[in-house]
Amino acid sequence: MPNPDLYSGSEEEWQALLGQLRRQSQTQPQPFFYTRVQARLDAQHATPRAWLPSWLRRPAYVALLGILVLAVSGDGAALQTAHPVTHSSTLPR
Amino acid sequence: MAYGLPLLATLMEPSAPVERAADAELVARLQQGEEVAFRTLVTRFQGRVYSTAYSLLRSAEEAEDVAQEVFVEVYQTIVRFRGEAALSTWLYRLAVSRALQHQRRLHARKRFALFTSLLGFAGQLLHEPPDHAHPQALLEGTQQLHLLQQHISRLPAQQQVAFTLRHEQELSYEEIAAVLSTSVAAVESLLYRARHTLRQHLQPTSRHA
Repeated sequence: MPNPDLYSGSEEEWQALLGQLRRQSQTQPQPFFYTRVQARLDAQHATPRAWLPSWLRRPAYVALLGILVLAVSGDGAALQTAHPVTHSSTLPR
Repeated sequence: MAYGLPLLATLMEPSAPVERAADAELVARLQQGEEVAFRTLVTRFQGRVYSTAYSLLRSAEEAEDVAQEVFVEVYQTIVRFRGEAALSTWLYRLAVSRALQHQRRLHARKRFALFTSLLGFAGQLLHEPPDHAHPQALLEGTQQLHLLQQHISRLPAQQQVAFTLRHEQELSYEEIAAVLSTSVAAVESLLYRARHTLRQHLQPTSRHA
């Protein structure tokens, strides 16, 4: 069903354009593709598998994790209870 | 031409079980760790995997990277391949998903580059470079093709994949449905919407009086 809003070129033109697109995309990889795949596989085998995930091997993440653990562990509450004691020691006798 | 494709499919059908049996044998040899079988697989499918990636990324470098990743993944996971889908379907599926991953990464990188350039952090290019195509390349046909490719890349991912597999890889509706893990009706709908959008955006070629 023809639609006036659509590409006003004829069906033949549209098909010719699709044919052009098809021909253009029939590309092949560069020669010796298998050798490069093999090299990539070998490189992956050569890299030893780390026992920690990569994100955990970054100092910034380790520091952040440490801060988080401290914050969640309740040390903040302990510091708060200790505060009045130090405050009272400054009071005049 | 409308009757050409179903006829072709019918003619090609008898070879499908033969191909399937050959694939099953190849997979069995791969699962036993046969090096020659892997080479055979790469040689047989490298063109299809590469051109699928190229159609979705329009970059030879990126397509090469995706194709390599696909075959590395095949090598590493072939043991888990149960043969529920055809070997080619599985490979197309891997190629499409890897290409879309690359595409998302490229878009994110482009957005980030734009953001940093707007803030003046980087002395890199501030925007997508203008296309200074050679006047010869601006001939009507090439211009239309370039425009079509641009609009294909702007389609939603599913439509883009369906359109690419149909019109560039010449897969049947059934094969596309298998790659996308969907129904034939859904593929028809994706293709209809994709064609509709593309034809809406394409300008008619100018005719000289």
